[in-house]
Amino acid sequence: MTLLQVENAHTYYGESHILEGVSLEVEEGEVVALVGRNGVGKTTTLRTILQLTAPREGTVRYRGEDLTGRETHEVADMGVGWIPEERRIFTQLSVEENVRVAVPKDRDAREAIEQAFDTFPDLREFADRDAGTLSGGQQQMLALARGLVGENDLLLVDEPSEGLAPLIVERVAEALSNAAEDTTLLLVEQNLPLALDLADRFYVIDNGQVVDEGDADETAADDERLRRYLSA
Amino acid sequence: MMEIVLAGFIDALGQFLRPENLASVLVDGLAKAAIYVMIAGGLTLIFGLMGVLNFAHGSMTMIGAYLGGLLMVFAVGGASGGATRLLVFFLTLAVTFALLAGLGGVVEVGLIRRLYDRPPVYQILLTFGLTLILDELVRIAVLFYGMQPTSDWQAALGTKPWFLSESVDLGLISVSGLSLFEIVVGAATVAGLWAFLTRTRYGLVIRAGSEDAEMTEALGIDVRRVFTVVFALGAGVAGVAGTLLMWDPAWGASVPLAADTLLPAFVVVIIGGLGTFRGTVVAAVIVGMADSVTTWWFVNEIDFASLPEMTIFLILVAMLILRPQGIFGVEEVGGH
Repeated sequence: MTLLQVENAHTYYGESHILEGVSLEVEEGEVVALVGRNGVGKTTTLRTILQLTAPREGTVRYRGEDLTGRETHEVADMGVGWIPEERRIFTQLSVEENVRVAVPKDRDAREAIEQAFDTFPDLREFADRDAGTLSGGQQQMLALARGLVGENDLLLVDEPSEGLAPLIVERVAEALSNAAEDTTLLLVEQNLPLALDLADRFYVIDNGQVVDEGDADETAADDERLRRYLSA
Repeated sequence: MMEIVLAGFIDALGQFLRPENLASVLVDGLAKAAIYVMIAGGLTLIFGLMGVLNFAHGSMTMIGAYLGGLLMVFAVGGASGGATRLLVFFLTLAVTFALLAGLGGVVEVGLIRRLYDRPPVYQILLTFGLTLILDELVRIAVLFYGMQPTSDWQAALGTKPWFLSESVDLGLISVSGLSLFEIVVGAATVAGLWAFLTRTRYGLVIRAGSEDAEMTEALGIDVRRVFTVVFALGAGVAGVAGTLLMWDPAWGASVPLAADTLLPAFVVVIIGGLGTFRGTVVAAVIVGMADSVTTWWFVNEIDFASLPEMTIFLILVAMLILRPQGIFGVEEVGGH
């Protein structure tokens, strides 16, 4: 079943035209990667889906329902989670509070927090620390935990490996592929081998448009089709 | 010449350090801190979450003083005993909190909400315009009832229970009952807000939203509604502060109370670090103590009574030079 459908989305920041008609689809249970150079509109695509930056033209459908122009908190309530670039954890809240604030009202908070700490045992150890004191890798795990306790059916994950040491990237990748067993992921990732490793399918974005798409298992990271759009 | 000045200073220092003087300076400082934290607390909550500098905050304090006075004057007859007056006062606090919170909610939904997407100067101009309108409306109402808007409302001051006008003997020192009362109400307000912010789900949401409103929204929280609640809460706290000041002869209910409370409130908020509640509490204590110490010196030893009023601004200037982000401030706060 098609979980997410973006159709011909045009999105602007002020007067600058960022998305020039992006169309893509994500099926339930899939992991889909968005790849492309810096500044071509990958993050904006995620913001457009969340209605943080609503599209001026085009539509975003989730489970067949039109999200365009809705409030972001409504989109989130419908089961769309965001694990943003640079993680954006609440540095002045404790680790536990970061998780707690993401638990939906109708869910038992204690149980949800326990579950998050079972998934990420490192976080339990630092439960009472200010989240701002965590390392980059721990912050990424926390951001992921925050996305998972929301019981979201679709997670929008933006640059999860950015700025992390290779060993930590491996653990983040493992956590993401575990998460992918229960949820659908739309993943923006600069690290192409990692993106193709995690994803079932990919879209290539260039200059605010989808210029190519393919099956991740059949495409190598040094494929000529990808290199055209990714090498600077 | 130098020796005489020095001898005089050492003599004065000896006086200052006598336990009874130190103790009364301490109590006086805490009472001032209680007032500062109450006039600044709502301002800092609003700025912390919404990045809005509410220039109408002083007017809300002033309206709280008049409303509180009005309720007290109506409810308390000349014959009412001290305990009754105290009870009525606490009911009055609850009512002014609710009324001012309502006013705050209306102002947020009706006016400020429309300007969130604009640069901060729009909100400053709006709330500044609002303060002019509110002050003028109150002035007209007060004049209509034949009262003098610029001098303290004596009838409201007169509703104070007798024991708050007396001195209380604490063994070593005797302090004014009002100072003790202000310390208790201020401490209770801080404790209540603190518990709300740190022990409730709504408080958690407010703290999260203060740091990153967009991320909070993306977690499924209606941040706009939180804005309304916090603006109402901040205005309500201003109302409570005003009601307390209505009993204090050093402040009193009058139209200029709006400006008289707004300036120190801003100073306390800036010293503490814009938008951090903890910083505001600490800054209120620092400013209250500095105010009380300089008041003692410049009233008892050096005859220069206007200097204490400058003290808080001197602290502000020193703070802005040494640590512009304030005690607990981070380099970049507010906004969304």
